[in-house]
Amino acid sequence: MELYAQSAYELTRLLHSRQVSALEILESVLKRIEAVDGRPGTLDPGEFTEEDRRKVHAFITLTAERARAQAQEVDRKLAAGEDPGLLAGVPFTVKDIFCVQGTPSTAGSRILANFVAPYTATPVARMEAAGGVMVGKVNLDEFTYGSSNESSAFQPCPRNPWNPDRVPGGSSGGSTASVAAREVPLSLGSDTAGSIRQPAAFCGVVGMKPTYGRVSRYGMIAFGSSLDCPGPIARDVRDAALMLQVIAGQDHHDSTAAALEVPQYVALLEGGVKGMRIGLSPDYFRIAIPDIQTGEYALQPLPEAFSAAVHRAAAALADMGAEIIENVPMPNTRYGIPAYFVISRVEAASNLHRFDGVKYGYRTSQPVQDLRSLYRKSRAEGFGLQPKLRILMGMYVSAAQYSEQYYRRALQVRSLIRRDFEQAFDPQGEYRLDALLTPTTPTTAFGFGEVYGDTVLMQYADQLTVPANHAGVPGISIPAGFASDGMPIGIQFLGADFTEEKILRIARAYEIATQSEEWRKACPQERQ
Amino acid sequence: MTDYEAVIGLETHIQLNTLTKIFCACKADSWNAAPNTNICPVCSGLPGVLPVLNEKAVEKAMLLAAAMHAQIQSLSFFDRKNYFYPDLPKGYQISMYEAPLATGGYLDLPLPQNEARRVRIAKLHLEEDAGKTKNAGGKRLIDFNRCGVPLVEMVTSPDLRSAEEAAQYLTRLRQLLRWLGVSEADMEKGHLRCDANVSIRPRGAAYLNPKTEIKNVNSIDAVREAVQKEIERQAREMEAGHTIESWTLEWDEDSGKLKKMRSKETEADYRYFHEPDLLPLHISEEWKKSILTALPELPLERRQRFVTQYGLPEYDADILTAERSLSDYYEQTVKAYGGDPKKVSNWLMNDVLRMLNEKGMTADQLRLLPAHLAEIIRLIDEGVINNATGKSLLEKVQASGETPAAIVAREGLAKVSDDAAIRSICQEVIAENPAEVENYRNGKATLMGWFVGQVMRKMRGKADPNLARAILEELLAQ
Repeated sequence: MELYAQSAYELTRLLHSRQVSALEILESVLKRIEAVDGRPGTLDPGEFTEEDRRKVHAFITLTAERARAQAQEVDRKLAAGEDPGLLAGVPFTVKDIFCVQGTPSTAGSRILANFVAPYTATPVARMEAAGGVMVGKVNLDEFTYGSSNESSAFQPCPRNPWNPDRVPGGSSGGSTASVAAREVPLSLGSDTAGSIRQPAAFCGVVGMKPTYGRVSRYGMIAFGSSLDCPGPIARDVRDAALMLQVIAGQDHHDSTAAALEVPQYVALLEGGVKGMRIGLSPDYFRIAIPDIQTGEYALQPLPEAFSAAVHRAAAALADMGAEIIENVPMPNTRYGIPAYFVISRVEAASNLHRFDGVKYGYRTSQPVQDLRSLYRKSRAEGFGLQPKLRILMGMYVSAAQYSEQYYRRALQVRSLIRRDFEQAFDPQGEYRLDALLTPTTPTTAFGFGEVYGDTVLMQYADQLTVPANHAGVPGISIPAGFASDGMPIGIQFLGADFTEEKILRIARAYEIATQSEEWRKACPQERQ
Repeated sequence: MTDYEAVIGLETHIQLNTLTKIFCACKADSWNAAPNTNICPVCSGLPGVLPVLNEKAVEKAMLLAAAMHAQIQSLSFFDRKNYFYPDLPKGYQISMYEAPLATGGYLDLPLPQNEARRVRIAKLHLEEDAGKTKNAGGKRLIDFNRCGVPLVEMVTSPDLRSAEEAAQYLTRLRQLLRWLGVSEADMEKGHLRCDANVSIRPRGAAYLNPKTEIKNVNSIDAVREAVQKEIERQAREMEAGHTIESWTLEWDEDSGKLKKMRSKETEADYRYFHEPDLLPLHISEEWKKSILTALPELPLERRQRFVTQYGLPEYDADILTAERSLSDYYEQTVKAYGGDPKKVSNWLMNDVLRMLNEKGMTADQLRLLPAHLAEIIRLIDEGVINNATGKSLLEKVQASGETPAAIVAREGLAKVSDDAAIRSICQEVIAENPAEVENYRNGKATLMGWFVGQVMRKMRGKADPNLARAILEELLAQ
C-alpha cells in the first residue's frame, strides 16, 4: 500500500521502526494531493472546467514548505533519539476555521481572505507538538455556515471523492474530502450542529464531535460559541482515538476547556462491548420537516437503507455481547433544528461583529464618508450570503422585543434536549445507556445545487446530529455501508459527557465486527 | 423663584489595579506606553481568541462590593454587550447585566452637623474596558492598550442633592478605593471616571424630572463645577417655562462650559446575552471568606472611632483617616506612646504631614516609625530634650533610621539640667555683658529673654531653659 493510503497509526509504526522517514511520508502525500486535488479554491476561480469537476478541491492553502520543515524536524528527533511525539510524521489537514501562525486563516470568507494569523489554535499546536505535519488548510462553508461546502467564497469548493457530482457535506467538507480521497489520514474539523459528523457520513470516513469542553476552542474562529467543538476526522476509529488523545485536555487559553484528565483512548479502544447498554430511539428514525407556510411539522420516516444500517449495527453489537435497548424516548429531538436556528444565529451575529474592516481582513476600496459607511460597505462586500443571513436572523431574534419569545425560548428547548440525554444515560435511570445508536444523516450526499439556496432545508441535514451539540455530549459517525445510490451511509454513537472512550470502543467493536464485509473493500474512485 | 433641589446620580467606572488585564496576560497598566504596544491576540479581538477570567479582578471587586455593603452573589454571569465602535475590537464588550457580581449597597456620606446622606448603589459589576479613539488631522486613531483593563462599573441611585455632595461622594469613593488598595483612583489618569446624571425638582417633590447626563469630567473639582452649572442652567430653563430635555452634555475643561453632545436617542439595544466563552462565576463561601478577611476597617468607621475612642475633634479624625497608612501610623504611635492621643494627633498634623507632603511619601514609607515618634514625644514629656530638639529629631531619624535615643546620646542633645553647669555658664554671660546687666537691673526686665538666649547659645540649645531662667534671675537679683 502506498504511504499516503496508510493509517496514521500505521505510519507512526513504520516511522518508529525506521522503515520510512517523515519526509518520505510527506512527499508521498504531496504527490497524492497534486494528483487528485486539482486547483485550490480561490476568490476569483474563473471558468469551471470538466477537469475541475473530477477533482477533490479540498485545499485553500497548501503549506508544503512548512510541512517539509516539520517533517525534517521529526526525522532529526528520531535520529537524535528524542521522542518525536504520538503523531510523529503523520500528515494532516486543518479546516480553515482554525488560526495557524503565519498561514492565511480565511474561514472560507472574502472578509478574511487576506488574514494571516499571528498565533496558532490550541488543537493544531498540540498536533504539531506531537510531531504531526500540517500540509495545509482545507475548504469549508463560509464561516462554517452550511452543510455542503457550496457557500465557501473559495471556489471550486470540495467535491465528494465517492462521486464528484455530489457534495462532500459540511461544513468540514474539505477535511472529510481530504481524508476520504486519501490525501491525508487525519484532519482537524469543527462541529457546531454536525459539521464533522455529517460530512464524515457523506464521505464515508470517521468523524467525532467530542464533549463540549473536551478539546480547546482557542484559535477556532467562532460560530456558535456554546456549541462549537473541534474534533478529529480519520479513516478509522483507531486514528480518530489517536488524534483525540493528542488534542484533548485542559487549556489555560480556554476556560470552557474541562480540567479533566484525558483517558488513554487508544489503549482502551479494544475493550469490547460486553455488557454495554446501547439504545435505539424511534425519534432518530424519522425526521421532522416544517411546512414553510403553516409551520406544522410533517414527520417522515428515514429511507429504509438508513434504518437498516442502524439495525444491522445493533445486531452486530448484540452478537458481541452488548445489550440493545429499544424505544428510548428522545422526544425533543425534533426541536433541535429550530432551537439551533435561534441560538446559533444569536451567537454567530455577535461573533461576526469583529469583522468590521477596521483592524484586519477585508476593507472596502470604495470611498467612504464616515465610519458607518466603512462598516456597511466592508461588511456588505466582505460577507457572503450565509453570514448575512445569520446576522439578520441573529439580530432579529436577540432584539430586546423578541428575545424573550425566541432566544429565551430556544434556551429552554435546549435544556429539554439536554434532559432527554440525561434521562437516557442516567446510571440510576430507566434506560442506563452507555450509548445511543442512530443514523448520522437522513440522506446520503446530495448533488451540487440540489439543496443549496434553501437554507432551511439545508439545515435539516443536521437534524440527527444537532441534539448532541445542544446537550454538549460526544458523538461519533462511522461508515456503515452504502446506499443504493452508491454513496456512503454513516451511523452515529452518542454518549454521556466525557465518555469518548466508550463510544470509541463501541465504534471500534463495530469495525471489528464488520471488517470482513464486502463494502469495506470499496474505495473512492481514483481520479488521476 | 421656586426653591429647587438637585437630584444627582453618579455613574462611575473604577479601574482595578490588578497586574494583568481581566481576560488576558497583558499588563493592566499602560501608562506612558506607546499606542498598541501592550496588546495581544485576546485583547485586540483577533479571530478565534477566547477570554480567560483574571481571578484577582474578581477578588478586588469583591472587596469593593463588601466595603459598599453590597451583597456579593454566589452565582453571576458575564454577558456580551453588543455594539460597533472602532475601539471595541470584538464588537461587543464583556460586561455583566442580568446577574451582576453584587447587588444593593450604599455609602453613608458624612454631611456637616453630624448628618449623613445614604447614597444607594444601583449597580455594581465587573467589565472590560474598551480602547481609546482620538481624532487627529482628519484621521481617527485607535489605541487598544486599554482594551481589557478590568473595571468595576458602580452606579448610584439618584440620592445626591447638590454639586458639593456629588464631589464629596467622589472624594469618599476615591479615599475608599485607595484604602482598600483596589484602584489607584486617579481621576486625571482615568482610573476613576465619572458621568453625572442631573435633574432638578421643586424642593420636597417626590417625582423625578427628565435628566441630563454629563460626560467627560476628569476631576472632582470639575464634577462639582459642571454639576453646579447644570443645576443652575436647569433652574433658569424651568423658570423660563421651558422643559428639560434628556441631553447628553460634555464638560469642556478648558472653557469651563457644558456643551451639548447629542439629544438622547431611544435607548440602544445592546442585545445582551450570556457570554458563552466564560463559565458562570461561582463565588464559594470559602473564597469569599478568604478574600473578605482582608477587608480592613473602613475609613468612615475609623474616623468615627477616632472621635469616640481617642476624643479627637472631627477635624483631626477626618485628616488622620484621609489615607489608610496615615491612620494606621497614628494608631500605632498612640499605642506606642501611651499618653494623650490628641498630642500625637498634633505631631502628625503639624510635623509628620508636612514631612510626607515635602517628600511625596505615604506614612508607611517613612523610616521614622511610629515607635520613633512615640519615643520623641516621650523624651520631651520626660524633660530629656526640649521641644525644638524633638522637632529636629524627626528629620534626623528619617535620614538615618537610628532611634531618637541613640541620636540624642551620640550628638549630646539631652537638655543639661545640671544646676552647676548651667550656673557657671550663667555667670559667664553676666560677666561678659555688664552693660545689659546694668540695664536689666535698672528695670528693663524684658532683657531676661536675651540672657536666656545667650545661655542657650553657649550650651548649643541643651540647657533646660526654665532652669537657666531661674538661675539667671537669682544671680541678677544679687
